[in-house]
Amino acid sequence: MSERSRRAFLATGTALATVGLAGCSGGGGGGGGSAGESGDEPITIGVLEDRSGNFALVGDPKHKATLLAIEEINEAGGINGRQIEVFDPDPQSDNQRYKELTERAIQQEDVDVLWAGYSSATRETIRPTIDREDQLYFYTTQYEGGVCDHNVFAVGPTARQQLGAVLPYLVDEYGTDIYTIAADYNFGQLSADWVKVLASENGANVLDEEFIPLSETDFGSVINRIQEADPDFVMSMLVGANHTAFYEQKASAGLEVPIGTSTAMAQGYEHRRLDAPAMSNIFAGVNYMEEIPTTRNTDDGGFVDRYFEMWPDAPYLNEEAQTNYFSVYMYKQAVEQAGTTDQEEVKAALESGITYGAPEAPEGEEIALDGATHHVDHHMWVMRCDDQHNVEAVENRVIPEQFLSGTVGCDLTQEDEETQYTPQDYYEEAG
Amino acid sequence: MVNVVNLLFQFLDSFAFIVLAAIGLAIIFGMMGVINLAHGEFIMVGAYGTTLAYNAGAPLLLSIPVGVLATTVMGLVLERSVVRRLYDRPLDSMVATFALGLALTQLTRIVFGNSLSSIGIPLGSVQYGQFSYSMYRVLLSSVALAVLAAAYVVFTRTEFGIRARATIQDADTASAMGVETDRMYTVTFGIGSALAGLTGALYAPTMSIVPGMGSSFLVEAFVAVVTGGASVLLGTTLAGGGLGLVNALFSNVYGTFIGQIALLFVAVLILRFLPNGLSGAVEGVRERMERENT
Amino acid sequence: MTSPYERLFGRFEGPNTIGNTRVFWAGLTVALALAAAYPLVVSAYTAGNTALFMLYGLLAMSLSLVWGYAGVLSFGQVVFFGFAGYTFGIVSINLGSTLGVTMAIPVAVLVATVVAFLLGYFMFYGDVSGVFVAIITLVVTLVMQTFMAQTAGDEWTIGEVPLGGFNGMPGIPNLAVGTEGAAVSFSGASFYWLVLTILVVSYLGLRLLVNGRFGYAMVAVREDEDRVEMLGYDIRRVKLVVFTLGGGLAGLSGVLYASWGNYIDPSVYSLAFATLPVVWVTVGGRESLLGGVLATVAIEWFRQQLAITGSAWATVVVGTLLLIVVLALPEGIVPFVHRKTVGFVEGRRMVGEDTPAADREGTAE
Repeated sequence: MSERSRRAFLATGTALATVGLAGCSGGGGGGGGSAGESGDEPITIGVLEDRSGNFALVGDPKHKATLLAIEEINEAGGINGRQIEVFDPDPQSDNQRYKELTERAIQQEDVDVLWAGYSSATRETIRPTIDREDQLYFYTTQYEGGVCDHNVFAVGPTARQQLGAVLPYLVDEYGTDIYTIAADYNFGQLSADWVKVLASENGANVLDEEFIPLSETDFGSVINRIQEADPDFVMSMLVGANHTAFYEQKASAGLEVPIGTSTAMAQGYEHRRLDAPAMSNIFAGVNYMEEIPTTRNTDDGGFVDRYFEMWPDAPYLNEEAQTNYFSVYMYKQAVEQAGTTDQEEVKAALESGITYGAPEAPEGEEIALDGATHHVDHHMWVMRCDDQHNVEAVENRVIPEQFLSGTVGCDLTQEDEETQYTPQDYYEEAG
Repeated sequence: MVNVVNLLFQFLDSFAFIVLAAIGLAIIFGMMGVINLAHGEFIMVGAYGTTLAYNAGAPLLLSIPVGVLATTVMGLVLERSVVRRLYDRPLDSMVATFALGLALTQLTRIVFGNSLSSIGIPLGSVQYGQFSYSMYRVLLSSVALAVLAAAYVVFTRTEFGIRARATIQDADTASAMGVETDRMYTVTFGIGSALAGLTGALYAPTMSIVPGMGSSFLVEAFVAVVTGGASVLLGTTLAGGGLGLVNALFSNVYGTFIGQIALLFVAVLILRFLPNGLSGAVEGVRERMERENT
Repeated sequence: MTSPYERLFGRFEGPNTIGNTRVFWAGLTVALALAAAYPLVVSAYTAGNTALFMLYGLLAMSLSLVWGYAGVLSFGQVVFFGFAGYTFGIVSINLGSTLGVTMAIPVAVLVATVVAFLLGYFMFYGDVSGVFVAIITLVVTLVMQTFMAQTAGDEWTIGEVPLGGFNGMPGIPNLAVGTEGAAVSFSGASFYWLVLTILVVSYLGLRLLVNGRFGYAMVAVREDEDRVEMLGYDIRRVKLVVFTLGGGLAGLSGVLYASWGNYIDPSVYSLAFATLPVVWVTVGGRESLLGGVLATVAIEWFRQQLAITGSAWATVVVGTLLLIVVLALPEGIVPFVHRKTVGFVEGRRMVGEDTPAADREGTAE
């Protein structure tokens, strides 16, 4: 009953139908046949985003922004006249739960498209299922990059795009000696590799790098080592609530070196949560955060206004939330272009080169989904935090996805791959 | 190249963290045989109490007691309502406290959201040459020592301590001799809760205030309790000193990753060669002394 | 004197197990027939999903054995579960063939068994007992989690398989038995039947064990260590044997788990997961082999349903219900129900022969 009543709550005023009922009648191609396909049968979207557990802080805005996009589309008449309904359980930041719920979303709820997961670990947990079922899947977190998969549209910015925005800026401003600190797991290690690649491209050098366990909360020795190395700036790819302690502790220890990051502020809004000046002089390379000054974002009735109108108690509108939001609209375009929700045809439509006027892009500009790589050429921003924790844009430009398209030659329009390339492949290609 | 001052500060930092992470858990476990799997959530409640008081305008020195008080009250309520029913079933009390922990974390999220804005770390830094260290983190080691000393006095030098330990050793006999054993358990659980709350309160300024924050203390807390052995205060002190030194030394020379691995490795070695813990080695001597004292 | 019934079931029966009547065996047979037919009437998804809960049930059964029967509370069942899962992944991916997958199964279970033996040896021959065993096994679990989460670098590659750190190990193959050309691979309904078979065989095997001579020694160790020692038993050896056996069973469960999701990651060593077997067995009744399994399936189904609602209150509800069960039904649900219903009848019949298991006080240590 609680399932139904929750969905009923969601449906209030938003014309969302309930999945619980439709699921039984076979929303997929099975019984309905072509009549259901083009008729008024609703489209089912699976949204697996964390609303409890360790990732709730960053996952909850993704869930909320997805519902915002769906509500807007439904109010405007749906997709090809069909309403959207959602299957949105709470995976509780538990990868095992993700695995179970992904199986259920595909096999039981017959979702037409799936958004799921915050961390790379989650993506890799469910990717075998996604590929086995050839499920159309949007992965929306900023991530290490390199996923070249027929079924996966990794539409968040990659490490190369994020670091590629902020690192050259800091080299110009502060000098060439870099010290890297990164979370000790795949994302952190690969990001650190990208820092090295970008450093050499920009004539800078990495003095040293340290990988810090995700469970670490004591940064005394890390701070001392940074002081000993005395870099011009630090690149920080620390992740999660434990690592947030680094920023408070470095401020308390009086470490004032500028810090570039692809992980702080835009996702976990540390500049709102931590006491100033912990985040002072920190530069985030991001495609979006609540403060970016585009007319689509911060003008009256813009993205920020609409989000907080629907979710007045939400604390922040983060980077990944925007990615969820615009990718729902990209999906809408693709379905309209394909004239069907048949997943292979929608994938082909997405690969034909969709563009959309996302909030991250300035007025008159659209961001483009690259059909060959399933990644997005993002409009990237360098956002600086001052000692009062105000955030301002210091630079912005379009940075295309380069690694898959330029270096390893991933072309999903020609060849169906299901792999993830790493910077190792960059070195091998570069020789 | 090891900078001695860096190493000293890192040791004090590490020592304080291990001792404070473990002390509440150790007292409840050592004195009552109850393994409190909600220990992390008790710490979290201390941090939330402190942060909420601070955000409401109270100064930090006043906010810390608020966090301690909140945790103590919660501990006492839970002792009266849940834990006391399970004194003859210590293993079931693990399941019960685990259940409490689950519910507490999520209730906190429902009531206060995914995070609170945090308190900045007070007191600035100590500067020396090209290095500096957070003054507050260093001072926490003095607090840790003070807590250990106070607990030692309470449990060995006061009427309450004597009665409490008599209860722990033989509740029936103690009861026959007029000790209110029920009250002893309640007060001991209260003290353990208060100390867990104090840990949360003290570390609140240095951490991200989220409902799951308590879990970052658990590894150190349980490792310290196990390697410390049956004698609580001595064990916690020795574990904090020994493991803190190992952690600081290896973190200093090889980085935090090796520091953590070294700490875990040494803990496993202690479990292997001293199954009764660090304090077990000197337990005989200490017990004789205690018998003379009581 | 020996009827055909007694010849068939006699060795499976005794005071150490619940359910020693013809009615019980008949009921079990019917229940098994229904369980076996289940995949025929539900979707492949539902069968696969239920198989997951059932393989957790095997993990619960391993804890029932060491905790319920020998009185050793281990938080380390997930350690053996995880070791076996990772080993299965490493061996099967490295060997890469169907024969390789087949060989990976015994290797993985063996590794889990050896790890359990070593840990048990250090504890029991180091005279660690009671609640300290619980806390040491818990620490070993947390140590494994911290360690495995840090194995992201290239240096942590075994053969061709990276351990993967926090991201875990993907690409673990489905369970298969045989060689190239003559192999059976298990997925969907066939995987369900495999798990069901393993569960039933394990259950019957453990019934044999606990109602045999060794079973009496185990239960005696649980009830009164000193007295058993005076009777000339080596308590340490009894505990070690049970603990090792429990580790092997947990390992088998871990192999099934890794192949179910084609994936394993360090969260199998987390405090939350390590506590689950204790929860299942506590709720089901630790002195009932079947109770733990039934409770596992019921609890995991319920938790999943709560997650599907997406309600913020899901874990609050789970925590509260668990607390109520622990406080109100100390012996667990299955022994309680048994005592209130069947046990009454059975107890009357058996008066003068033996003391029914459920009449004993449930002791924690």
